[in-house]
Amino acid sequence: MFSGLLEDIRLYKHLIGIQIRAQAQYKVDLALGILTMLLFTCLEFMAVLLFFTQFPRLGDWSVGDVALLAAIMALGAGIAEVIGAGVDTFDKTIRLGEFDRLLLRPVGAFMQVLGSDFRLRRLGRFIEGVIVFVVALRFLPGLHWTLAKVIILPIGIVSGAFVFIAILLLGATLCFWTVETTELTNLLYDGGREMLNYPIIIYNDALKRVFLFVVPLAFGSYVPTCYILGRPLPFGLPAELAFVAPLVALAFALVSGFVWNFGVKHYQSTGS
Amino acid sequence: MLRFYLEVARTAFRRQLIYRWANIAGLVTNIFFGIIFSYLIIALYRARPSVSGYNVQDTLRYTWLVQAMLMVVMPFSWQDLMLTIRSGEVVSDLSKPFYLYWYWFSRECGRSLYYFIFRAIPVYLAGMLLFGLGLPGEWRFWLAYSLALPLGAMLGIAYRFLSNVMAFWVIEARAVISLSEVTALFFAGSYVPLPLLPSWLRAITDWLPFRGFLSLPAEALLGKLNGIALWLGIGRQLLWLVVLTGIVLLLTDSATRRVVSQGG
Amino acid sequence: MSLIIRVEGLNKTFRVARRRKGLLGGLRSVVDPEVRVVHAVQDLSLNVERGEMIGLVGPNGAGKSTTIKMLTGILMPTSGEVQVAGLVPIRQRRELASRIGVVFGQRTQLWWDLPLIDSLLLLRHLYRVPETRHRDNLARLRSLLDLDEFIDTPVRQLSLGQRMRGDLAAALLHDPELLYLDEPTIGLDVVAKARIREFLLSINAQLGTTILLTTHDMDDVETLCPRMLIIDHGRKLYDGTVANIRERFGGERTLIAVLDPVELDLLPRDAHGLPILADLPTGVRLAQADGPRLWLSFGRDTMPAHELVSWLGARYRLRDVTFQEPEIEDIIRRIYEEGLLLQEVRG
Repeated sequence: MFSGLLEDIRLYKHLIGIQIRAQAQYKVDLALGILTMLLFTCLEFMAVLLFFTQFPRLGDWSVGDVALLAAIMALGAGIAEVIGAGVDTFDKTIRLGEFDRLLLRPVGAFMQVLGSDFRLRRLGRFIEGVIVFVVALRFLPGLHWTLAKVIILPIGIVSGAFVFIAILLLGATLCFWTVETTELTNLLYDGGREMLNYPIIIYNDALKRVFLFVVPLAFGSYVPTCYILGRPLPFGLPAELAFVAPLVALAFALVSGFVWNFGVKHYQSTGS
Repeated sequence: MLRFYLEVARTAFRRQLIYRWANIAGLVTNIFFGIIFSYLIIALYRARPSVSGYNVQDTLRYTWLVQAMLMVVMPFSWQDLMLTIRSGEVVSDLSKPFYLYWYWFSRECGRSLYYFIFRAIPVYLAGMLLFGLGLPGEWRFWLAYSLALPLGAMLGIAYRFLSNVMAFWVIEARAVISLSEVTALFFAGSYVPLPLLPSWLRAITDWLPFRGFLSLPAEALLGKLNGIALWLGIGRQLLWLVVLTGIVLLLTDSATRRVVSQGG
Repeated sequence: MSLIIRVEGLNKTFRVARRRKGLLGGLRSVVDPEVRVVHAVQDLSLNVERGEMIGLVGPNGAGKSTTIKMLTGILMPTSGEVQVAGLVPIRQRRELASRIGVVFGQRTQLWWDLPLIDSLLLLRHLYRVPETRHRDNLARLRSLLDLDEFIDTPVRQLSLGQRMRGDLAAALLHDPELLYLDEPTIGLDVVAKARIREFLLSINAQLGTTILLTTHDMDDVETLCPRMLIIDHGRKLYDGTVANIRERFGGERTLIAVLDPVELDLLPRDAHGLPILADLPTGVRLAQADGPRLWLSFGRDTMPAHELVSWLGARYRLRDVTFQEPEIEDIIRRIYEEGLLLQEVRG
């Protein structure tokens, strides 16, 4: 099974390599696309900052705390949005009847879907994440970085990206039954991202549990942020839980993959 | 001619009735984001009970009102006119015996009415159920609202038309539309309630046209505007409506002449 | 074993739920769906040897695409056995995929915005073809299909004929044993069609590639396929040669006789100006006349062709004699419309 996985990854690299070269040819277009998205995402963050001109704290989080959370969230989501564009637009693939062609190739369908669209234009959000991170550091002069904290950053961000892509995959799987639900998936994705932009302590217990144990988006944003800030986690969970993020993300991704396979089987028994 | 425009509005209203599921999906989205903002606001207000005369209840009501009115005034990503320009359909529209702008104006009025009944009311009701918002009491507030909201809707129509009509001259019309939309939404109070902005920023937003889109009607209904402030606000709405409509009519004329001379 | 396709008792049944209108209807459809059963493929059996070229013919909705989908592993059969190249398609989809090639006439597998060559290079990685073999195949296909003039053009700018050639190259880069073609000549002009047919014949001859071709174009079938399958209402109605079908359902043949002009002038004419041939044998009629050319229609069962020629030659001076077979399209259409073979199957 692993040699197949390695092959698939190498194929993925080729698929996106060609797309990157093609997109890089239209430099102005690309730059404009990135800048527009950067502008919009920065505007969203500015809204948060403006709140803090009137309110000193959110719960007991300071502006720096919230900025750090927003940065880590944006970095993870940014990666997912660049990589997962093919999954995001899967409804179009189904609608155009192009999924059959994917099944006619000696490669896993998911890898082809993932590799079908690598959108450099969507780098805007990732760049915003970097900017907000720098801003956050300025608001947190007293933050003391240990090696563990530095390590938790990429761990959390990559785990977050995985969970986001898994969510997109669940949404794409719905398309096997009906293409009418794309609004629902957009809502779950955008809504989830928006909700996790703020510390989950502002929500009720049920929602906290959902984002920790059901759809573990918190492990890509809130949990690593708490670790870095030295804040306690809800429900008395240990701060070191942040290091388990990759496992949690993997578990969720496996569930998502399982559902996807089920969807493909359904497609194969009922036709398009 | 008026009968024609009325019929256009009625048809647009009726056509929206068909898209039931799309409306429900949008409804759920509005409610969802209303919920997120509500939690945010409740948490923020724990640190400070009142800002610019708005307590937590006021701000919650404001937020839900704005969410409710979004589709009435600024439906997301409205590109209908731009698409007819791109496809060339607009050329045949321009050769018909009606004013292009008033045609679209009537259409959008019909849709706005639909969204008021089937989106604004349910969304605010949901907010009432979930967060115990209640309704403002005094009839004067409702009167002010009944003036400010239609003006806001009309401002929204003019503004959207303006951003779309740019497609006659600009290739990257989609970017223009997105940008204009985000700007409008920001300065209309959809990202941050305008009353909560620092005073120097409020001075700017007071004079921009966008406040009249969403924020002013909400502020009026909440009774936060005394006599003078209210009339000043409504006056500014009217002023901007005249200005925007004037610009739109000028541009449409210019576009019409261009199309006629170039033959599409 | 030289059988590349072995199908036995293949069935595919679809359960189609009828969507009710309105909001309440939509909800009711989820709870209590009205289901309509569609038998897309019924009891289909088929054996194909390596190197064969087969035409798959049938009206729209007959079950041809459904059958192909089950053969390629895209669709799961309801019952029956399918084996292609020794593999079970639905279970060994990926393994089978590297041994077959599929070309859709109306949908391309090439990347729309990229130059053709990029697609062909990308497919090497997709099909894991070793570099040298890919290089050789690409060179060969480039010359066979004349791709060089447009190999650097983005696919969306290609003409239909060029795109089809590109798709053929794409499907053959990995040396598939079996090639499926779905309406490959649709929309092409006469020259392009001839070219494609020539190409298919040559790869079948040179490489022994088995070819299964779905088409509405009878010329495709007659030029390429020694064996033809007719499918209608999900059943295999006919599995044999084109000539055989023509014989069984051909109805009338036509003999075109060119008379000596002197003879022609001597013939009496009827009210319409058509020459009258005295004492024509029963079952033979003059269908058309154009100058010295006479078209005589006669039923197959009426008399053997050579007898009619003798009969004519004995009475008139003939310049030339040719035969015209009935259009296979007309025959097929009759078969569909009158359900001729269906009656046979059912009866």
